[in-house]
Amino acid sequence: MTIQHALATVAGGFIFPFLIRLLWGKLVDNFGTFGGWMAAAFIVGTTWAINHGTGLIVQSEGGAWVDMAFAAGFGLLVASVVRGGNASKAMPNVLAAIVGGILGGLILSLYL
Amino acid sequence: MKFLRSVLGYAIAGMFVMSVWGPMASLESFGIIGGWFAAFAIIGPMWFLNHYVGLIPHESDSGWVDMALGIGVAGVMRDVFLAGSVDPLVATLPTLGLVILGGVLGGYVAAKVEESMEAK
Repeated sequence: MTIQHALATVAGGFIFPFLIRLLWGKLVDNFGTFGGWMAAAFIVGTTWAINHGTGLIVQSEGGAWVDMAFAAGFGLLVASVVRGGNASKAMPNVLAAIVGGILGGLILSLYL
Repeated sequence: MKFLRSVLGYAIAGMFVMSVWGPMASLESFGIIGGWFAAFAIIGPMWFLNHYVGLIPHESDSGWVDMALGIGVAGVMRDVFLAGSVDPLVATLPTLGLVILGGVLGGYVAAKVEESMEAK
């Protein structure tokens, strides 16, 4: 991991929760449920294209896959707490995300 | 029951992303446009299930724990279980730390931008 790659990786992590936080809710307000599908394509899809399609997030050699999802998970939690969300009330869901992620990863490893 | 609902929601989202997305985006299928379409085909319904229908419960004043956190954990743990050791997790700590750092910065700045927009 060179310093250039490290800076690129931070930039890739920055842009994803930034776009979700500012755009996703507005799209749903404007277009209803379909706004969520538009957000999935135009926010997640397009950001995936730069972060993982072209590799702005540089993976570590021999390392497990680090998805840009980590940036969204942490960034959106931070943003909601900055805007008055209760951090301690979020902890059961943080634990559930870790348990669910481990469970999902375990099930996938059974056949992949 | 609420905890079980959350575990299910995070696990299902993580499973779809960490199995289907890669093959959809592989060069033998559609390449980068396949990855873009995978976002529509996977994140669309998973967002609808978890955050619109509300399989993952959030109290109105709770900090937000997006299904993305479960997806991220599932990706790392898939590779750890496949390797049968924690070596891939240790090896990937630089990327993991930098992505989380970028995410925290991006979320914080987005919140500050929101405050600035609301203040006019």
